[in-house]
Amino acid sequence: MRTEPQPSPRDWPTRLLRHEMLLLYVLLAEWLFFYFAGTTVNRKGVLVGFGTLDRQFDILRHSCEIGLLALALTPIILTAGIDLSVGSLLGLCAILFGKLWHDGGLSLPLATTLTLILGGIGGALNATLITALRLPPLIVTLGTYSLFRGLAEAITRGAITYTDFPGEFLFIGQERWLGLPTQAWLFFTVALAVTLLVHRTTFGRSFRAIGFSPEGARYAGLPVARRLALVYTLAGIIAALAAIIYTARLGQAKADAGTGYELFAITAVVLGGTSIFGGTGSVYGTLLGVAAIAVLKNGLACLPVVMRMNAAEEMAGLLTGALLLFALAGSVLPKLWAAGRSRRSPPSSP
Amino acid sequence: MGRRPLPPVPAIIPLSPPHLSFAMKSRILRLTVAVGLILGSALSTRAAATKLVVAFLPKSKGNAYFISCKGGAEKAAKELGVELLFDGPTDSNAAKQNEIVENWITLGVDVIAVAAENKEGISTALRKAQKQGVKVVTYDADAMPDARSFFVNQATPEGIGHALMDDAARLLNQEGEFAMITATLTAANQREWQKYIEARLKEKYPKMKLVAVRPCDDLKDKAQSEATALMSAHPNLKLIMAICSPGVPGAAEAVKQAGKTGKVKVIGLGLPNENRRYVHEGVTDSVILWNTSDLGYLTIHAGVALAKDQLKKGAKEFTAGALGTFQIQGDNILLGKPFVFNKANIDQFNF
Repeated sequence: MRTEPQPSPRDWPTRLLRHEMLLLYVLLAEWLFFYFAGTTVNRKGVLVGFGTLDRQFDILRHSCEIGLLALALTPIILTAGIDLSVGSLLGLCAILFGKLWHDGGLSLPLATTLTLILGGIGGALNATLITALRLPPLIVTLGTYSLFRGLAEAITRGAITYTDFPGEFLFIGQERWLGLPTQAWLFFTVALAVTLLVHRTTFGRSFRAIGFSPEGARYAGLPVARRLALVYTLAGIIAALAAIIYTARLGQAKADAGTGYELFAITAVVLGGTSIFGGTGSVYGTLLGVAAIAVLKNGLACLPVVMRMNAAEEMAGLLTGALLLFALAGSVLPKLWAAGRSRRSPPSSP
Repeated sequence: MGRRPLPPVPAIIPLSPPHLSFAMKSRILRLTVAVGLILGSALSTRAAATKLVVAFLPKSKGNAYFISCKGGAEKAAKELGVELLFDGPTDSNAAKQNEIVENWITLGVDVIAVAAENKEGISTALRKAQKQGVKVVTYDADAMPDARSFFVNQATPEGIGHALMDDAARLLNQEGEFAMITATLTAANQREWQKYIEARLKEKYPKMKLVAVRPCDDLKDKAQSEATALMSAHPNLKLIMAICSPGVPGAAEAVKQAGKTGKVKVIGLGLPNENRRYVHEGVTDSVILWNTSDLGYLTIHAGVALAKDQLKKGAKEFTAGALGTFQIQGDNILLGKPFVFNKANIDQFNF
């Protein structure tokens, strides 16, 4: 936030930590609550509901695609940017993948590679418009949000669905490998890579610097345009990977794939404590945000009360919104309190 | 932006509490656990454990067609003393359907009844359900044959073709010219229905003559202009039969505007709501579809019978409560004759 006084370097890590810890408590509380309230024994005497390992794996499987998009969005939001087109790009990449494999007759590894490249090109289109033409990311990606989805619908004329993928491809989305759902390994790999990029390299620092002040970063000699190009292109590649996983999970590629996913992903990032104005935030927070939303959504569907009301989806939407507002308020209140206190007493050295 | 202490890398699923400084945090944790326990025991009910649980999945849960199916399903569930879950995507979303089915699997329901939005997509989830001992039936729109035990088939092409032709013959006293409006000349289901209509015509109604078959591209406007053209090209035309749902109100509007209400009759395959006005005005005589409430009723009965081992593979017929006995063709349970909506009964249906 450019207008607020910059906190001292020693101060903001502790604040960040506080937000992430708060979120961790929320996640734990959610999990324990659903564990006790959402686990029952069925007629046959089998343990069913939230407390089963199958359910936990389902949560993981259902959150991989949105989780990947949230990981893609974290560096972007750190630079004070936004990418509304990731969900549409997921849809377009799913269709392109289906077309390359089904109509183009390419082998699956080749189709996958090409899809990842095409996703990167989609991201690069965003990057070019943002850096070369100096257009605001919100406007650019709002445009490509419609463009990508429109392309996906045009290619399939809204009617074609690619199916009949072979078993070895569906393995990625539906089976387990080394104890975990296969796609979880891909998700964790990307999570690790993005964590390293953001928290352990100079790139990560430059993202924050750009987010704090793009002009300042430019004067400090940072290649702002190149860094921005990197984050948007990376987002395109990750969206393409999410498209592959989505296609493998459902065994179908359709033009409506990933509709609305960008908003879930942005919610997870903001819930994770990354400032929408850029400059502060962490990948750990994003991962916690994704987990908190996924556990809430899946946990609610396990509660007998919610089940009988047939309103799991609606309740999940409502409570996710409440959780986001609660978390935001929770992270602002200590700051306000600290500001009030420092005004009353002269600042002392720690 | 220097180094800072980081919390332990959080796992997506914290199966064990991470290493917090326990002395400080234990009170919060204990409180959380206590609240969880209290709320948990208050919310979980034991009723679910004794009754058979049947889950009913529509293509989209706000669609009046499926709400009307649900009406029949609820009636059946009440009669059979089973618990009915009804959930579906708010839009017709194949991915959501899979997630809901996967959720039901881990909730340990006994039967899942599905109207598939995407045949292949849903089948992966349904196979998983079967593997875990859940009985699966489909209704309205089938999944892959190996992903379910039975498909409750609401209408065979033969049944639809015969019902339309017989109704046309009844209205014209088996005599005179009629024309047909289809969606496209190539659509597989339309071709199939047309085949049975023409066969029935040849076999039973020699004095009737099909003078034209026109496509309307599934558009009401096009159906209207096609119907107008048909009436001027064939002055002796007595009836227009539309076999795609936008075609019925389209043809009715054309007849009404030409002032030929009653002189040229309109029938067709469609939904009651789209045609209600024309049926009441006497432009359209009958709309043919199936009874959606019976479809839901039969589906639940079949699902429960399957779970109780009363319905087995290879059965030739099946008795479903108040509705009586239904034929089984292979693994399709046939709902039977299509239902005719007319002035007398159309207001009992809302979809």
